[in-house]
Amino acid sequence: MALVHRFLNGAYIFRHCPKPNASCPFLGTRFADYCSSSLQKPVAAPGKTSSQRNSEGDLQGHHQREVALDITSPEEKPEVSFDKAIKDEIKDHFRRLKDDLVNHWIGPEGRPLHEVLLEQAKVVWQFRGKEDLDKWIVTSDKTIGGRSEVFLKMGKNNQSALLYGTLSSEAPKDGESGRSGYCAMVARSPRGPFERKRAYDWSQFNTLYLRVRGDGRPWMVNIREDTDIIQRKNQMYSYFMFTRGGPYWQEVKIPFSKFFFSNQGRIRDAQYQLLLDKISSIGFTLADKVDGPFFLEIDFIGVFTDPAHTEEFAYENSPELNPRLFK
Amino acid sequence: MSWAQAILLARGLSRGWGGICGVAVTGAPFSQVPLQAPRGLHCSAAAHNSDSWLVLPRPEPRKGPTKALTLHEELFQQTPEGARDKANFVRAVQNFGQHNVHKRGHVDFIYLALRKMREYGVERDLAVYNLLLDIFPKEVFRPRSIFQSMFIHYPRQQECGIAVLEQMESHGVMPNKETEFLLIQIFGRKSYPMLKYVRMKLWFSRFKNINPFPVPRDLPQDPVDLAKLGLRHMEPNLSATVTIYQMPSSKDSTGTADPTEPHIVGIQTPDQQAALAHHNPARPIFVEGPFSLWLRDKCVYYHILRADLLPPEEREVEEIPEEWNLHYPMQLDLDYGRSSWDDYEFDIHKVEEGPVFAICMAGAHDQATLAKWIQGLQETNPALAQIPVVFRLAGSTGELLASSSGLEEPPPPEGQEEEDSQQRQQQGQS
Repeated sequence: MALVHRFLNGAYIFRHCPKPNASCPFLGTRFADYCSSSLQKPVAAPGKTSSQRNSEGDLQGHHQREVALDITSPEEKPEVSFDKAIKDEIKDHFRRLKDDLVNHWIGPEGRPLHEVLLEQAKVVWQFRGKEDLDKWIVTSDKTIGGRSEVFLKMGKNNQSALLYGTLSSEAPKDGESGRSGYCAMVARSPRGPFERKRAYDWSQFNTLYLRVRGDGRPWMVNIREDTDIIQRKNQMYSYFMFTRGGPYWQEVKIPFSKFFFSNQGRIRDAQYQLLLDKISSIGFTLADKVDGPFFLEIDFIGVFTDPAHTEEFAYENSPELNPRLFK
Repeated sequence: MSWAQAILLARGLSRGWGGICGVAVTGAPFSQVPLQAPRGLHCSAAAHNSDSWLVLPRPEPRKGPTKALTLHEELFQQTPEGARDKANFVRAVQNFGQHNVHKRGHVDFIYLALRKMREYGVERDLAVYNLLLDIFPKEVFRPRSIFQSMFIHYPRQQECGIAVLEQMESHGVMPNKETEFLLIQIFGRKSYPMLKYVRMKLWFSRFKNINPFPVPRDLPQDPVDLAKLGLRHMEPNLSATVTIYQMPSSKDSTGTADPTEPHIVGIQTPDQQAALAHHNPARPIFVEGPFSLWLRDKCVYYHILRADLLPPEEREVEEIPEEWNLHYPMQLDLDYGRSSWDDYEFDIHKVEEGPVFAICMAGAHDQATLAKWIQGLQETNPALAQIPVVFRLAGSTGELLASSSGLEEPPPPEGQEEEDSQQRQQQGQS
């Protein structure tokens, strides 16, 4: 990431200024989405790593709510040496490009075709090391001036990830927010060489599988699709995940047909099923209006095909709310 | 006649009318301005300044809260000695309609009442919401022509109606036929509140029963009952038995549990009992906790009794002898050569942790209380007497309820030293 950071040395301005900077002509219209949201208020104490990650997050065209607030442990001090980091990164990108070209001959994503076609269960995100935590961004309502805190760290024995914090539904006193209190953990979109956008293709699976251990709070699982259309950047498909609490690991299986569509945070009247061929990211949100500490321990996240599940979509459109669909 | 002459005339009249017209001329609201006789024309010259008739009468400062009260708030303060309950709330709402027939300021009053609902404890009462909607005058805000329905007819009132429905939605109250009838009467069928009502009916009925682990909305107040509910909630095995090892004692008849004798409630399944009986006495078992469990909006804490995972070389695979069941074989070693299309297992080692032998919820989180729990467990698990028990409790004092997130670190670390260093780390992070 240091490479892109070095090119756009006015990176911190991106967080606040509403128009694309003239010094980044080659980024083009792809990053227009971070201008549209007006929710970004300056965070009180961002911390060095979080602001670094935040500027990178903006450069990659993420939605503006994804401000990284995870604080690394005090022992690690990231060593910033731009020249070495640039060289490493250039080498890394070229290596990924070479892998990409070579893997294309072997099969999709470097695995032989028969293996990919016959696959019934696939692990998409696992938490076995610190580098797995880097694939996730953690947000809370601190971005709009609230008081919730959330942190992400590895669980015991480095075998799981622990998302913990405190939820506070005290509304920020900015005159326009009536309610507040949410915490979220969102995955970064997959990237190819030279930060090209990639997407997950889960079209042969039909259920999402999570092995979690919670504390009884209800969470919401959101899936975002990969799209270039600006109007679609705020659309996502969600469903609820109810944790049981307790010392036992819980397996949560959510079929993709249960996810309902929402735009800008509100459930829409016109519902359509989630199409699985271009998935960009998944996220977990906690906003159950109960103040207090929470935690969620995640072992891994996978997708699989449930042969007993034949439903295509769980919600039908009603003629009262959508007369145009029924003409 | 000029403005000044009109004012003088009004003041002259007001002397006779007791200040009512004077108030009307100055434009102050009726309920807030006290009756103050303005200076009349024929007052003594010494008290009469040249521009005193330009000074508007100021309301006298209110004794009591220094915060400015909103309009109509005194309706909610009429019974300071009465309990804040539904009857008083309903009475305050009904009093609003009595003072002004035309219900001036009903939008502000409804917003105020929505804010006050939580204090009076009626935020989940559908009848009260219907009463609030009843405050709106009927048939006035319905659009009568196509142009009125194209634009948002009476937008503030529609916003207020939506706010009432939104508070219902956030508290999970399902509207009923009476709400629908009121909304049609007030706003008409094509209005935004009616649209929101249709959406609430649709989505609430879709999501009513999606929780696979439902918790009742009215949680028991008694801590022992709450502990039993929480333990049953956590333990998926239905054959588990809940045991109350100690009831909270209230010798002083104050009603609160004596801190020296908190309640201890535990749960254990028959499988866990068998596993504990087979446990090797050379390995210690640990009491870990407290971990938090949320039931709706109440947080309770539990402790667990568990052992560490056996290293792979010491794990013994239990072989079922063939004579155990003569009707059908308990183990089949057939290998059909299935290809990967039948493989539904994930290609990852799931996190394995040591077996849990029992869970308990206690009123206090210190070692003495948990030692009593272990003693109680020994009655049903005699093998426990030989096994060394190590207490790994996070936090020195028991009470972690209101502390920061750093202290309430639920997953227990590996050893005692790691626990301290991790706690320091977490406190640095939070």
